Amino acid sequence: MLIIRDIHAVTVLFIMPAVFILIMSVAMRDLFALHGTVAIEVLAVNQDAGKRSGAFLKAMEELSTFKFQFIEKATDSESIREQMLSRDYKFALIIRQNFSAFVDKKGKGKDERPLELLVNPTVNVQTQMVLKSALDGKLTKLRWDAFIDRIDRLLAVAGIDKKKLKAAEESPIEVNYVYKGGRYDKIPSAVQQSVPAWLVFSMFFIVIPISNTFISEREQGTLMRLKSMNVSRGYLILGKMIPYLIINAIQVIIMIAIGMYVVPLCGGTALTLGKSLRGLMLIAAAVSFSAISMALFIASAARTTEQATTIGGVLNIIFGALGGLMIPKFVMPGFMQEIADISPMSWGLEGFLDIFLRNGGVSDVLTKSLALFVFGIGMLTLTILLLRKRKEV
Amino acid sequence: MRIPKQLLFFAFLPVHISHKTTCYSNDIDIQGGFSYTPDTPQRESVRKRFSLELVICGAPLIDIKHLYKSYDKKPVLADVNLSVRRGSVMGLLGPNGAGKTTLIAILTGIISKDSGAITVDGMDLDRELRSIQSKCSYIPQSFAFYPRLTARENLEYFGALWGMKGKKLQERMEFCIDIGSMQNFVNKRVDKFSGGMKRRLNLAIGLLNDPEILYLDEPTVGVDTQSRGYILETIKKINRDRQTTIIYTSHYMDEIEQVSDDIAVINEGKIILHDNKKAILTRAGDACGHRTLEELFLKLTDIRLRDED
Repeated sequence: MLIIRDIHAVTVLFIMPAVFILIMSVAMRDLFALHGTVAIEVLAVNQDAGKRSGAFLKAMEELSTFKFQFIEKATDSESIREQMLSRDYKFALIIRQNFSAFVDKKGKGKDERPLELLVNPTVNVQTQMVLKSALDGKLTKLRWDAFIDRIDRLLAVAGIDKKKLKAAEESPIEVNYVYKGGRYDKIPSAVQQSVPAWLVFSMFFIVIPISNTFISEREQGTLMRLKSMNVSRGYLILGKMIPYLIINAIQVIIMIAIGMYVVPLCGGTALTLGKSLRGLMLIAAAVSFSAISMALFIASAARTTEQATTIGGVLNIIFGALGGLMIPKFVMPGFMQEIADISPMSWGLEGFLDIFLRNGGVSDVLTKSLALFVFGIGMLTLTILLLRKRKEV
Repeated sequence: MRIPKQLLFFAFLPVHISHKTTCYSNDIDIQGGFSYTPDTPQRESVRKRFSLELVICGAPLIDIKHLYKSYDKKPVLADVNLSVRRGSVMGLLGPNGAGKTTLIAILTGIISKDSGAITVDGMDLDRELRSIQSKCSYIPQSFAFYPRLTARENLEYFGALWGMKGKKLQERMEFCIDIGSMQNFVNKRVDKFSGGMKRRLNLAIGLLNDPEILYLDEPTVGVDTQSRGYILETIKKINRDRQTTIIYTSHYMDEIEQVSDDIAVINEGKIILHDNKKAILTRAGDACGHRTLEELFLKLTDIRLRDED
């Protein structure tokens, strides 16, 4: 009741993660889709003296990932740079004069680089790599096909069908995802990644309502009244923990429901649950216990609500950033990945990913859950020691 | 068995009151009465000569002997001896930092004492705290409830903490709603209440367990005259109708005069005056010309500000 009537708590615990899940799931949808719906615009200048660049550009545009905006062939290098920055293009591709000569391996400039890629510094390395790989792939195919054309007569003499030697249009690589317990038909989606991350993040934000209640009780004398009523220390602590465990459980249910039913309405992919409901309940309970225990410790250590919410908020953001909630751990450098393991949010996130993405069960989340429970017990012990020292319980 | 209050009145005989107090020319003089300078031998001498001590025949309900309490080696209560009659209202007066709240916090089991002996209704506070707490109720100066809940929800919550449920809880809640005159706003959120409404709810919560002993810590702070009058009348009614023993702290002397049967003045951790109200006012007036409790209080506790304490 106290939470429902606390608009700030409702915002932090329910509205914030719901909005994050919706935004992230929809915004990152194409990052996980094999064929995106949003093409990255590339400013292009075709200065090729020959005809090979036409086929090259056609092949690139067929990828649908990039959309080329051509400007005047005679535009000089400085002007291209200016246009790129003023029109906020992420890339500019200059197809140099020697492009056809390079592909055909004859004529002026046949050994010089035929493409120049200008990159806006705001573009991340992954996106650069996607465009560079696509350019490399299409150029290699074009050169191979040109080579086959050049040895056309030889192949005819040898009785080899040149069509069979031409590079395939489709990628020869088949991608499959590996899950616990065998194959799984669904491919990972943005929502499968977003829900666990923002769920863990929001569960740890329980520090705000807990510290509000706890410190208000202390400041308003309610704690003194409770003590004069012979309310036991255990009851005082459990009286805080149990309602918030329920609140966390409601958070889990609501966030999963948003992933399953609301995200698809906004154009995203529906969240699919793993096969282990028990595993999900175990990791959710462990995250909740550790989050509440940490919140109780912060609320006990802080003198004012402002102190508690500031310390709690900052700690959550640090733990979240370290724990791979904001940046996936696999893109972090090695030492950062090791540091990430100190964050309890990381253990929780990995546990939820085990359930949602890797199709894991109870045994897969057991170690992480135990670690979270031990962390929670440690925090709770510190809380009780602190309160006893201050004679507050 | 409770002894009628009227009979008890005759049982309390003030002693050590016959000494005539003396005025000292080198001290601060207020309105022609006797005066004190802080921490001088003369002040101690005057106190001893003016010593008013309530003598209670029979066992008191609350009996405090040689009570000591200190925080960080700084004494807050030093050799406090105090007795409270069953069914009486005892006004506990003292300047800021005198030790009133600490004394009540010890009596209610919120904090522990350093040394001394306290018995409540014949039970030792150290050994039978749980039983003592079940007979008592503490109403703090602050609004000790949950502002986002309604008055009814607060009463339900604290009633449940007292172990009440079902019909008994409903009956006690109705009594408390009635005594707090909260019928018109009992289902409204408390954070929308005025100061007076909050005070009445604070009081009502304290009456849920039908306490034999009620500790009231400045229950009228920040309320309007009407609410203040209502609260004081309610306290007198509870004492009269239910024979509840009340320990009442306040900075308002007129309140203490209005509701108390006995008065104790605490200063710098010591009880410096304790007697029934009538005796204090009469004899203080006779002895040194103080007509009001406030004048006497200022004489006994010095007029200096206590902010630095």
